Amino acid sequence: MWRDLGLAVLVLLSAAVESNSTSPPGKPVLLSCRSPEKETFTCWWEPGSDGGLPTTYRLYYERERLEGVHECPDYWSAGSNSCFFNKTHTLIWVDYYLTVVASNALGNATSDIFKMDVMEIMKPNVPENVTLLVVETEDSPYLHIRWEHPRNTDTESGWVTIKYELRIKQEKNNKWKEYMSGTQSHFSLYSIAPGGVYTVQVRCKLDHGSWSEWTNSTNVKVPNYVQNERSFWILVATLSAIPFMAAMCTLIVKRENVKQCVLPPVPGPKIRGVDFHLLMSGQSEDSTNALIINQNFPLIVGWKDQMEEYLIVTENDIGPPSDASHCQKRKKSLIIPAGFCSDWEIQCKSTHIQNDCAGGTKNETGNFPKNNKSLSGESLSYMEPSKLQKQQCLGQNFVNTEATDPSPLNYDNAVKPFTNSGYVDIRKHVENTQEVNVKQVDYSRVEDVNGDNVFILNNKNLAFNSSGYMDFQRQEEKLSEDYSRVKEVGSNNVVVLQIQDMSADTKNPHATGAHKMGVCTELINSEYIDTIPAPPLM
Amino acid sequence: MARFWCAVLILACLELSTRVGTAPICSYGQAGCHTPSLADIFDRVIQQSSRMHGISSDLHSEFEQYFFPSKNLIGKPKCHTHGIVTPADKENAQRLGREQLTEVILRLLGAWGDPLLQLYRSMSQDQNQDFNHYSSNKALEISDMVHELRDGVAKMAEKMKLSGVLGNTVGYISPEGLVPSSSFSFYKHGELNSMDHHDLLYCFRRDSNKIKNYLQILKCTTLPGLDC
Repeated sequence: MWRDLGLAVLVLLSAAVESNSTSPPGKPVLLSCRSPEKETFTCWWEPGSDGGLPTTYRLYYERERLEGVHECPDYWSAGSNSCFFNKTHTLIWVDYYLTVVASNALGNATSDIFKMDVMEIMKPNVPENVTLLVVETEDSPYLHIRWEHPRNTDTESGWVTIKYELRIKQEKNNKWKEYMSGTQSHFSLYSIAPGGVYTVQVRCKLDHGSWSEWTNSTNVKVPNYVQNERSFWILVATLSAIPFMAAMCTLIVKRENVKQCVLPPVPGPKIRGVDFHLLMSGQSEDSTNALIINQNFPLIVGWKDQMEEYLIVTENDIGPPSDASHCQKRKKSLIIPAGFCSDWEIQCKSTHIQNDCAGGTKNETGNFPKNNKSLSGESLSYMEPSKLQKQQCLGQNFVNTEATDPSPLNYDNAVKPFTNSGYVDIRKHVENTQEVNVKQVDYSRVEDVNGDNVFILNNKNLAFNSSGYMDFQRQEEKLSEDYSRVKEVGSNNVVVLQIQDMSADTKNPHATGAHKMGVCTELINSEYIDTIPAPPLM
Repeated sequence: MARFWCAVLILACLELSTRVGTAPICSYGQAGCHTPSLADIFDRVIQQSSRMHGISSDLHSEFEQYFFPSKNLIGKPKCHTHGIVTPADKENAQRLGREQLTEVILRLLGAWGDPLLQLYRSMSQDQNQDFNHYSSNKALEISDMVHELRDGVAKMAEKMKLSGVLGNTVGYISPEGLVPSSSFSFYKHGELNSMDHHDLLYCFRRDSNKIKNYLQILKCTTLPGLDC
């Protein structure tokens, strides 16, 4: 109850006081002064309480080098509670002492003295007309920023020195990046991201004064054209990568073939006269015979550099002939290496020829023509011997395939050395290479040896195979009767053979030779001449 | 690594190029001496004066913070150079003309040579106060700058006279003739107290700003163009 009474009294008193309160104004406060261009300045104050009565505010100032107290020349241009000093009232490098007096009917209130020098209160207006331009050059675009000095600032007379600063922000970041521009009113920003949106703000300051406010944000969007160019190159790269990948895939898939091509297999070593398959099949007799024979061959030093091995194997005739007179028709296999048998195409069986036909052999050798044809090794087909013996035909000697008589023939007198790789090789095409005792003899008889390395043969049943050989396909039953006699020697390394009976040698002018040959015809029958036509005629 | 040394070299070059007034100016055109152009001289001089004003302004604000933190009004300092009539606004400055402006600059510079030296000596001798101990080198720096700037402006005036830009009315101004002795006795010879220091710093801050501003006006009226 007492409390309620106290409250009521309080309320009444306050009401009374309120209705009666007027007081002198409160003390105003001078806030700040500012000169935007070093030619005028403005000062603002904050009024205190007005004390309930209409209060007027006046600003008074004193100035260095000026006698007396003066009042603000302009209270209105700069708004309320402000004082504007125009050019005539503004001096630089002099001190102003300002005071604001608030007065109402009851009294006055004076603010504190505010000392200022225009030199210290400079703060310009914001720069104007900020424009952004994306300059598209060949290499890279850049952002060109232009602006103008604040409207009322005179920068041309040198009275003020204005400096600019700008800040740039990309749309995604929230960080501003600040740049000093000095006194220039433009700026270039390089290395801008295409497709990005940039925001720019500019501000300035005079001499050593304060910075102005930032301008409003200006935005610009950088076009994406650079990316188009980049995407073009990406497209080109992708398209060119596809065939590259395809090539790589084919290489990987066909790597075996690539390996064959790039790294051809090194041919393994082969022993001359030894048939690998023969060895494998276990027919060691022939192979050992071949080895033995091979070992007894005299080496011709001069021909070592012409080691073009050419092995021709025909079927082997096992067993030596017992009697020379029994020139049985046997199949002889002679192997003539190309390098060696350059001049001599016809090989004669060695052993029994020598034994039996000593003169004949000489004749034979004499009859052996010299063929100047140079047959390159490539034109000769080399027959992979299935199971036949191989023998070398040495330079001047004829090699006998007879296993029983390993003695080399001595044909040095009559045999001319091989000078080139030409030879005539009559190869019999063996139908059944597995059989040894196939009694097929192909032979041609050399009738005459001409000085021009021409031999005269009589060819029959020439059959050309793919390698350009003339294959003599002879029936087995005809072999006994068939032999070829060299009829005549042509001029262009032509050999004319004739097939005739053994008895008909008299027709031949070289009948004696032929006869002699006939002596050995049996033997010859067992010989064969591999004719290799289609070499380039010299 | 190469980029680093490149950057170091560039920075060194920039540092050297911003030093104004240290390189001698061959005003007589000696043989083998590259005489800078008038624009170069103007730039050097203005840069030097700007630097000088910056240092003096820093020194003054530090002084006030150290000695008078409450920011009480210290009174109305009177500067010994107030006898030199200087234009206080733009119209007056532009109306003055080049010759008179140059003369005013030279007068101001001449008036401050001795007082600044005295300030430095006084500050360096006063070991009691830390402020004087650590800031005396700044006083020395501005003292040297004033001397260099005075020589530079004199050479610039000579060059302007040679090129006919400046009339011959600007005569040789002796430092003693610029400042009347009455104003120089303003300051006690010998010992200067802190108040004297403050006044000197306050006055010099203002005068260095004037010098810088007058030089800029001179440049823009003589060589209008860039930076104006």
